[in-house]
Amino acid sequence: MQSEGDKTVAGQGVPPETGGPARYWNRGVDGLAALGTVMILFLMAIIVADVAARNAMGASLPLIAELGALTVVIIVFLQLGAAVRNDRLARTDFLLAAISVRWPRFAALIRGVWDLVGALLCIGIAWSSWDIFGRDLEHREFIGVIGVLTLPTAPFRAFIFLGAAVAAIQFLLMAAMYLRAAITPGDRRP
Amino acid sequence: MTGVEIGIAAIAVLLLLIIFGMPIGVAMMASSFGAVVFIRNEKVATSMLGSVANDSLEEYLYAIVPLFVLMGLLVTVSGVGKDTFDLFERLLRRVRAGLGIATVFANAVFASITGISVASASVFSRIAVPEMTRHGYTKSFSTGVVAGSSVLGMLIPPSLLMVVYAVLAEQSVGRMFLSGIGPGLLLSALFAATILLTAWLRPASVFVKEDGHDAGEPLAFLGFLRKGAPILILVTVVLGGLYGGFLNPTEAGAMGALGALLIALARRSLTLKSFWSLLLEAGQITVSVLFLIVAATFFSRMLAMSGLPMALAGFLIDGSLGPWGFMIAFIALVIVMGCFIDSISIMLILLPIALPVAEAANFDLIWFGVMTVVAVEIGLLTPPFGLSVYTIKSSIDDPALKVGDIFRGSFPFVVAMVVCLVVLSIFPWITTWLARL
Amino acid sequence: QEEIDLTVASSHPVVIPWVGMIKSVFMAETDRILAEKGNYKINWNEAFGGSLYKANATLSSVQEGITDIGWVFSFLEGARLPLSQVSTYTPFSTANPPVQLEVIWDLLENNEVFRNEWEQYNIKVLGLTDTDDYDLYTKKPIESIADLEGMKISAPGVLGQWLRGTGANAVDGSLTSFYTDIQTGVSDGVLSLALGVLPSKLYEVAPYITRVNIGTAFSGAIAINKDTWDGLPEEVQQAMIEAGKTYTDTHAQDMIDLHEAAFAKMIEMGEDQNPPVTMTELPAAERQKWVDGLPDIAGEWAADVEARGLPGKAFMKAYMEGLRNAGEKPARDWDKDL
Ligand code: NA
Ligand code: NA
Repeated sequence: MQSEGDKTVAGQGVPPETGGPARYWNRGVDGLAALGTVMILFLMAIIVADVAARNAMGASLPLIAELGALTVVIIVFLQLGAAVRNDRLARTDFLLAAISVRWPRFAALIRGVWDLVGALLCIGIAWSSWDIFGRDLEHREFIGVIGVLTLPTAPFRAFIFLGAAVAAIQFLLMAAMYLRAAITPGDRRP
Repeated sequence: MTGVEIGIAAIAVLLLLIIFGMPIGVAMMASSFGAVVFIRNEKVATSMLGSVANDSLEEYLYAIVPLFVLMGLLVTVSGVGKDTFDLFERLLRRVRAGLGIATVFANAVFASITGISVASASVFSRIAVPEMTRHGYTKSFSTGVVAGSSVLGMLIPPSLLMVVYAVLAEQSVGRMFLSGIGPGLLLSALFAATILLTAWLRPASVFVKEDGHDAGEPLAFLGFLRKGAPILILVTVVLGGLYGGFLNPTEAGAMGALGALLIALARRSLTLKSFWSLLLEAGQITVSVLFLIVAATFFSRMLAMSGLPMALAGFLIDGSLGPWGFMIAFIALVIVMGCFIDSISIMLILLPIALPVAEAANFDLIWFGVMTVVAVEIGLLTPPFGLSVYTIKSSIDDPALKVGDIFRGSFPFVVAMVVCLVVLSIFPWITTWLARL
Repeated sequence: QEEIDLTVASSHPVVIPWVGMIKSVFMAETDRILAEKGNYKINWNEAFGGSLYKANATLSSVQEGITDIGWVFSFLEGARLPLSQVSTYTPFSTANPPVQLEVIWDLLENNEVFRNEWEQYNIKVLGLTDTDDYDLYTKKPIESIADLEGMKISAPGVLGQWLRGTGANAVDGSLTSFYTDIQTGVSDGVLSLALGVLPSKLYEVAPYITRVNIGTAFSGAIAINKDTWDGLPEEVQQAMIEAGKTYTDTHAQDMIDLHEAAFAKMIEMGEDQNPPVTMTELPAAERQKWVDGLPDIAGEWAADVEARGLPGKAFMKAYMEGLRNAGEKPARDWDKDL
């Protein structure tokens, strides 16, 4: 889903961050994404198990639909930080690409501002997800049916909060990178 | 400012942000957030943001997305897509521009095991494009064929767009799936005709140098079987499971993914390392699709709060447009929005407005859904934002290949899709007869 | 004349009778009363059909002011509105929506814990909603409880509880998935409402209707955000309170009338299909066998609510007592062993 301008044009001249703390941060982001990835297999496994149970024993497993639904949300938020870093969020690049040919620093400025907006939104998501987490914890919100099997939703909300917070920081790092490129004079295209 | 005015302003701001390269999801969220602050206040806006993030994806059906993506990637590495393409390549080797037509038909078959066009686009850009370039087709034409025929992925069942429509219009997912088969075959035929016509009228846009194309000897029966069996098995599992009475759509996705995994293992096309990076890729595609759904949900909720959809529906119903005037206006609006916004977002934005009007106009909602899906999918091929085109660009990874070339190459298929819409309007039974059996 | 802008929303579309009635009864009645004096006029911004929020956020959306007025679907708020679930854990108690809602309304006015359960979320309840009666719709005829043995019955969420002890296996799902679930053999039938079965055409795939009279359930409320409410002139508040009462009464009666009409319609529509739609009644003795065979789901529920620090047992007693005092004859006294 990425496009021409993302790395080759608008992002030109921005050195990749590979220093010490950045490396640990990147590892953390990748770790979350890996967890989200494992959840895809988990999702497949529980659904297949449900199908098997229904056809072999005539009874579906409890919770599958609700658990599957929540798992989808988790998958997205665990991977969001990595998607931001890898520039996988869909965008149209034709104008930005054109600008960056003539005025690369201006293009970098725009990119930086956009990442800043992304950061603010993710902070908003994290902020209110924290509220939702607290609310679910307080009311012991659950999925499933009392008397059969229930599962608290709070841990899932915690992951959503974590994912949004990580994505916010990742957006901030990207913004800093582009804004620095924007204020650094000179043509830094290789 | 009234709510309606704020809603209109938000749409304008959104378009501006998208054109200036803000990630579409972020742009939708930002403009919606701003609009809600104006309509209500920042507290409501923040809690809407949180509730959108937490609940808009909390739907069992959306589990289809990672599962079908995973399945699509697995069949890619295990060469199922390539085998399907090979079969058609051999069958059509005597036909002029036969490779292009092979791509279309292979896509139609591949479509019945994948639910998203992005998967078709990425699979066939890796298989069909190198093959076509090798045989002297222009890059623009070969990528255009792949982009064009990738839309079959979401018209022929299973289809993510049909799922989204079924949810919004409260139609049965099974019936919506069935309704896509007839139009899918029609569109495949139209695409094939388009290719033949282009090769005949404007050969320069198709071939760099036309070569006597040798796709090897025709396959013996066993070869056919070996290449055709995996996709037949998967089609049986996915579609057979859906209609034979074992699986709901999400489950079909899970079983299909498992089947694809087993095929990939049986063919020894996976190492632990390649499997892991494939999983990561599936995750990243999932995020980029579903993040858009989150954002679009916020956007359509903001619109609902602004009162714009109601005002617009009132205008459309009371106006002198008439049912077919409305239909034409709606399709045109979908196509225009398709230039800027992704398929699912368009449906999430427009259908809440359009469905009540369509119902009032006594349209068959299954037919209306197919029309919407075809029109929405035109957007996959139109600049500046054409998802299939970008997918092809990013999976081919050739700096010399310009996005503009792919858009140019897909244009004939856009025309074919418009023709398809006209045919479906004149013969609505193409969509409904299977679904209403 | 002062104009007031208000947003009214729901997670479900207006084709659902009680959502449609928000417009045709509650809003219309409010407008009518206000028009008598002519001091105020409300500009309604309608956001029905889930355009503003989904079924899983009906309470928080009114609470947070995402909408001013909305239908709160209490069924799906088990954790935050635990006491409000009482009627789903006491099946076979009443199939009389007017009485059921009267009892609930009475509890809402006089039972402080119950009132607080709703008002703690920054909302004011204006009217109540009920379901119509639950029955069985299956692929094969059901003449006795024994026929249910081993069958897969679609029942959304908590309703699966009602099948415990019958030998049937509950299959989860929703009204949108039932048709394909039955058609494809994921399930053999559904435990559902006539008003849900009719529009989703489930009788096409599950033509055997067995009237069981399992009962109706308190499903939710029309509520208004408290901040919005406090900002409204008293005259408007009074108009809404009155309109809310009219809404509750009209809707409750409607649940009885529409229920019967839905059966008639299904039999008419399904006359020519093969097999045709047939409706039978589960014999009284079999029905009693079903009720008696159920585990103590009310007791389990009350214990869970008590564990949340709420008077589950006392509330269960108050509810059942209310039903009996109003002349209902529950097939099982769920509060007896508490
Ligand atoms: Na498909
Ligand atoms: Na487009």
